[in-house]
This record gives sequence, structure tokens and C-alpha cells, in this order.
Amino acid sequence: MIEYRTHTLSNGLRVTVNRDRTSQMAAVNMLYGVGARNEEPSRTGFAHLFEHLMFRGTRQVPDFDLPVQMACGDNNAFTNNDYTDYYITLPKDNVETALWLESDRMTGLDIGPEVLETEKRVVIEEFNQRILNQPYGDQWMLLREMVYKVHPYRWSTIGLTPDHIAGASLDEVRAFYRRYYTPSNAILSVSADLEPERIFALAERWFGDIADRGTAPDPLPAEPPQTEARRLEIARDVPARTLTLAFLMPGGRLSRTHYLCDLMTDLLAGGQSARLYRSLVREQGLFSSVNAYISGDMDPGTVVLTGRLSPGTELARGEEAMWRELHRLQNEPAGEYELEKVKNKFEAGTLFGELNVMNKAMNLGYYTLLGDLSLLNGEVTVYRSIAPEEIMETARRIFRPERCSTLIYGPLCNR
Amino acid sequence: MQPIDKKQPAVSLPGGLSLPAARRLSVGNGSALYALDVPGSGVVRMSFVFRAGSVWQEVPFSASATANLLSEGTAELSAQQVAERLDFYGSYFDVTIDRDYAVITFCTLGRFFEPTLEIARQVLLAPTFPEAEVETYRNKRRESLAVERAKVSVQARELFARTLFGADHPYGISSPESRYDELRRQDLERFYRRRYRAANCFAVCSGELSERIESGVADLLAALPGGTDDRPLSMPAPQRAPHAFLRHEGAVQSAVRVGRLLFPRSHPDFVGMQVTSTLLGGYFGSRLVRNLREERGYTYGVFATMVNLDRCGYLAVATDVAADATADTVEQIFAEMNRLRTETVSDEELRIVRHMLHGEVMRILDGPFGIADVTIENIQNGRDNDYLEEFMTRIREITPAQIRALAERYLVPEEFTTVVVGEHE
Repeated sequence: MIEYRTHTLSNGLRVTVNRDRTSQMAAVNMLYGVGARNEEPSRTGFAHLFEHLMFRGTRQVPDFDLPVQMACGDNNAFTNNDYTDYYITLPKDNVETALWLESDRMTGLDIGPEVLETEKRVVIEEFNQRILNQPYGDQWMLLREMVYKVHPYRWSTIGLTPDHIAGASLDEVRAFYRRYYTPSNAILSVSADLEPERIFALAERWFGDIADRGTAPDPLPAEPPQTEARRLEIARDVPARTLTLAFLMPGGRLSRTHYLCDLMTDLLAGGQSARLYRSLVREQGLFSSVNAYISGDMDPGTVVLTGRLSPGTELARGEEAMWRELHRLQNEPAGEYELEKVKNKFEAGTLFGELNVMNKAMNLGYYTLLGDLSLLNGEVTVYRSIAPEEIMETARRIFRPERCSTLIYGPLCNR
Repeated sequence: MQPIDKKQPAVSLPGGLSLPAARRLSVGNGSALYALDVPGSGVVRMSFVFRAGSVWQEVPFSASATANLLSEGTAELSAQQVAERLDFYGSYFDVTIDRDYAVITFCTLGRFFEPTLEIARQVLLAPTFPEAEVETYRNKRRESLAVERAKVSVQARELFARTLFGADHPYGISSPESRYDELRRQDLERFYRRRYRAANCFAVCSGELSERIESGVADLLAALPGGTDDRPLSMPAPQRAPHAFLRHEGAVQSAVRVGRLLFPRSHPDFVGMQVTSTLLGGYFGSRLVRNLREERGYTYGVFATMVNLDRCGYLAVATDVAADATADTVEQIFAEMNRLRTETVSDEELRIVRHMLHGEVMRILDGPFGIADVTIENIQNGRDNDYLEEFMTRIREITPAQIRALAERYLVPEEFTTVVVGEHE
């Protein structure tokens, strides 16, 4: 159970605070409601490139990391399809350093052409390291393009190609900053052993005079339901063949469908005792590894089942076996014991995730963005309320051949 | 609204950094339990540390297979039943294995401690290594190792160990994945009998503890077999080579590893070299990050660190860089090391590193799990948690002149080993 208080400044900045009475550390999280979803299709990867630039200095603070380190702090950031998140952890007595730095880079970012060029190279190397120079590195990228045809989730945060990053200009940087890095599009969240009233006052002091210049992000096109099976076979220099099935979820992060899909993938792959590992790896030996998960996006996301086929397993047998597990979800009610198991696991996972200030500050920001902070402590209850019939009904609605994208990713020649 | 002064706030270096002493409860048979009470956390973590890393194995992969298959079938529970029970209680189970140690960890909500301990008893005291599970494991691991070894970074890590220690040295050796085919359940049984004994084991328990919990874990330890059934480890002198290159067709990035053998944590210069390697490449803003990432854009990341093994230690610099930047990267790494030898570091830069390390320790100690990890490392090195005080003092007191002296003494190019995995040499 995480206690919290909220406050909104007159410029629209939302502030959420958790008082943690045990920690010596403070976590300061600054979330901006902009991600890869807001990019132009011709300039993908830009939100993430921009995140890198946020560390490259302002008029007042030319080197961002230095004052963080002097305050015994550590900082980093990530970008996903929905939002960009910056976080600093430091001793609680130094919390103002973090607020000073975040307020400063909300208004004073100062990027010159040389810095932009260097940072583009760094991000292209990140693209190379994560995608091109990894076995199966582009698998998730290929899958997105199969599942999404109109919604911007069809590209990942890193972008569709390094060329999009290489072509980014200073004008685009300035326009993006002006449009999205503004108080009403931001959420400040803090977890520390500090009075919430004091944090609100500090937020007022450091952010209160920043004028809001925000306009609402453009609406995004909804992804239409898939009506025909999609299939793609890829041959690359990889050691083994993988099989992946993906289905568009018929609801967003706040829908009940999200929790149902989360629970179904836990039945399938939530631990070593779960169905896919037990049946496909341990008992039948068809796969050497399996997984199932949901992407967890804010707009309708994706349910994914994936596995690496054992040498000698015929593709058709592997596919049949995966579909058999989906049919079981549709036709056999999950037993009381098994449901209790995944629900316990969900509850324990939630608790283990609340043991440090950083996770708590991040969660506060994320659930504020979702628009329902009560879910922060309420999801275990939602999860516990799910009944077997509802799972079967949802599985029947989603796991249909004409709604499936099948990706087969294997070695250049079959060994 | 009146104008607001938005100057940089003052910062303080928090004092009173403390790590609770672990209470040591000795168990008659040679093992020991260390208890760290963190009230209010609601969770219990117990880690069992065995001197059972890969240096002790006679058959390739048998050390990691033994550790990983402890939970895959016991005298009373099948692999599926162990997994079912752990999942049912939401208990977290983890096995880590390195060259020296295997660490088996269970984390549980306080209210599920008893059933989790019962599973731990089965897993640690009565594993059976069933043939079918060994077979599944062999296939799974052979495949995943093949996937791992398609990455230049993994190839470079293994090549670096072989080149630094020698291809047959216990710290350097790597075996082809085909050797999994020869792994038999008898190999695991034998390794288990040799190494999973009281004299090779200690446990660290942290979180919301009670007398009942501590005596439960102590009883488990007391049930480990005593005595020894093993030869002492033979550790030959390393056979170092200065260079190695492995061609990886079509790699858009090269993996570069540069390093040298030094000494383990017990050596008086270890902490000083930790500070020196941090200056070189141990944080964001370090010299190598500034050089290779922020100025030249060659890489997404570069890291330098002191690695501590049971019987030695080494300094390593690791980075994956654009293929056409490989040669210059190696040159820049040596240039930055040379700069530490020839120019005295400024007070300002050293102060940053000092504060950064101070914050890092505070972050690691935030929460019951981090405290347990630090305690384990201290015990492995034959120390109590008072080591932290010594470490912090050394960091506070080290001077720029001392850093330069360490660099002159140890950052000697001729002593270094460089390995590259990539398209071109």
C-alpha cells in the first residue's frame, strides 16, 4: 500500500508525493506525456533521441550529470511508445538539487549543431547495439509492423531505421521541445521521507513561474480489428528458429480487457509452473524456451506468445501445440487453485516492486499519467475479481486465427 | 509574482552511513547464518551461498547445471511440484552462479515463510537430478548458449577471459556448447556431493525476521552434510597473451575489451584502483564516457571496473563500438590511461567521484535486499560489515597524488591485454 498526496500547480504541472519513512534516499521522477506515439512517420525514433538531448546541457547548467553526482545522486531516463521518464535518486537532504535541475531543463535546453550530430551518432550506435548487432534484435520491430497498420505503435521507440535519426534537424528539436516539454504535459513525483507539504512548496518555488505553452497532442488513429491472418517468415544469421503469435488487444490500459489478458499470459507463462513451460518445454520438449506477455501500452496493446523451437521440432507441430494452449483457455475453465496461484503471484510481485523509493516515484508518475491514481493500490483487487468464465469469454474473443499475426524467425538454412 | 532566485542549491555529503552488523549464528557443522533485521519490510529473503562455482567443476557445465537443477526434482517433490508451490506462494526463487560461488535465494512474503522454507529444505537437501529434467535442461541451455554466443559482446567476454588467464585456466576456460551433450546426471550428483556441504556454505537472512524464522533457517543449515569429500583447488599461474582477435562476419559493431590482472579485494591497493577505474570509466561523465560517447559518438556505452574474484582480481574496460571506430577506440582507451599516469587528477574531479561513490553505496543499501547483497560480498571476502566503514574512509582520504602513483604503477600498457571481436582486426 503506497500512501500519496497530489497537488496541481496553476500552470498545469501535476505533483504527486509519497512519504517513505524508512529511506534515507529521495527519488524524483519527471514524466513527460510524449513518446514514440507522437512522432511523425517520417521521423521515428525522435522522442528517444530527444531524451538523450535532455542530458546535453542548458544555458545555466552546461553539464547535467556533474551537479547530480556532486549531490551523491544518480540519474537516468527511458522513452517508450507512450511517455518519456526522467529520474534522479539522491540523499533526501539534497532533494532540491533534483528539482532545480528538472525545472532548469524544462525551460533552458540549449542544443547546438555539434552536440546534435554527436548524439545522433550515439543513438545510431544504440540502434546498432540493440537491434542490428543482436541475434533476433529486430524481431519485436517486425512484429509491430505486422500487428499495427495505422496506429503509431507500428514502430518501436528506437525508430524504424537509423536514417530517421540521422535526418533529425535542430528546428525539429526546438519545435518538439516547445510543444511537449511544458508544465501541463508533465508530472513530477517524489518518494522520500519528507513532508508532502514541503515538496508541494518546493515544486511551487522551482516550477511555479514556468509559463505553460502546451497544446494537446494530436489524436491518434485507432487500429482497426484485424480480419485476416498475417504471416511472415524471416531468415537471418541466427542459431535457432523462433515462433511468435501476436494478437491486438481489444481495449486499452484502463480497460478490464487489459487485466484479463495480463492474467491469461500469467496462466500461460507466469513462472516455471505455468502452462506453456510445463507442456511445451518440460513435457513435450517441442520448445527450448517459451514466454507469453502483454505489451502494456496505454492504447490497445498486444498479447504475445513466443518460443524457441527445439532442434528437430517441425514448425507445424510447434504451432499446433501453442494453439492447443489457446484453445484450452477458451474451452476449459481455469481451476480455483491455478487462479489463486497467479493472483498470489501478482500480489507478491506488486509488493516486491514497492521496496525502494525509485520504483514508488516512477509508479506515482505512471498512474497519474493513466489518469487513475487509485489503481496504484487497486490493481490487486481488480485482478482478484476475475472469474473463470470471463477468462474463457475473453480468450474466445481475442485468440482467433484471423486476428493472429504469426512470425517465424529462423536460420538462413535449416540445420 | 516576485522574481525567484533559481541558483544551484547547496548540497551536503550525508554522514552516518551505516550498514547494520549481521548477527552471526554458528551452526555446529561448520556453516553459519547471518541475520539482518529490517523491520517493516514485510518480506523475508534467505540466500544460501556455496563455494560451488565453475572453478570447482571437472566436467564442463556441471557446476551451473547442479545449481540450476537443484529445484528440478527432489526426494519428495517433482520439478513441477516445486515450481507449483513456489509460484503458488508468490515466492521468488533465484540461482546465480559465477566462477567461485553458487547463490540460491528465496524471497517470500512474511506470511508464506514456513511453506517456502519447506521447499528450500527439499531443494537444498534432497535434490535428485531426474534424467528427464537433465535432458530438458541440456537441450535448453545448449540452444540458449548458442544464441548468446552469436553476440559480439558475449564472444568478447569469453575471449577476454581466455586471453587474460589462458584457455585452460579455471578462470579463463570456456567450453563449446556441444559439451552439454556429454553432461550426465551422475556428474551433477557427484558435484552436489562434493560441494554442497556445510563447510562450504553460509546463509544470509534479511527482512522482517523473528526468532522462529532464524531457527528455521539454522535448522536447515544444520542438516547439511558435514566433513569434506573434495580435493583442494589447484590454481595454476595465468598464461596471459597481449592480444586476441576473433572475426565476426558482418558485425556492424566491434566488441572491445582491454584489461590487466591485478589483485583481489584483500589487497591494500584494491580500493584505490576502484577509485582510479571509476575516474577512467566507472560512471556517466567519466573520462572514457566523455571521450568515446560524448565527444566522438563511437558508442552507446563504455565501462571500466575492478573485478574481484576469490583468488585474484583484474581491471577491465568494456565497450561495443562502431566497426570503423575500432582502432581509434583502442588508442583512446590507452591514451586515457596514460593521461592518468602523466597528469594529476584535479581535486574537483576526485570530489565528484567521491560523492558519486558515496551515493552509490547509499543506493545499494536502500532496502532489505541490497543490504543482504553487500553482506554476502563481505563474508565472501572474509570480512564483517565493518568493511564498509573502511571502504568509505579510504575513499574519503585518497589524494590526487596517490591516484597518480597507482596509475603509474598499474596502468602500464605492456601489462595489458586487448581483445576485439568484429568484422576487421
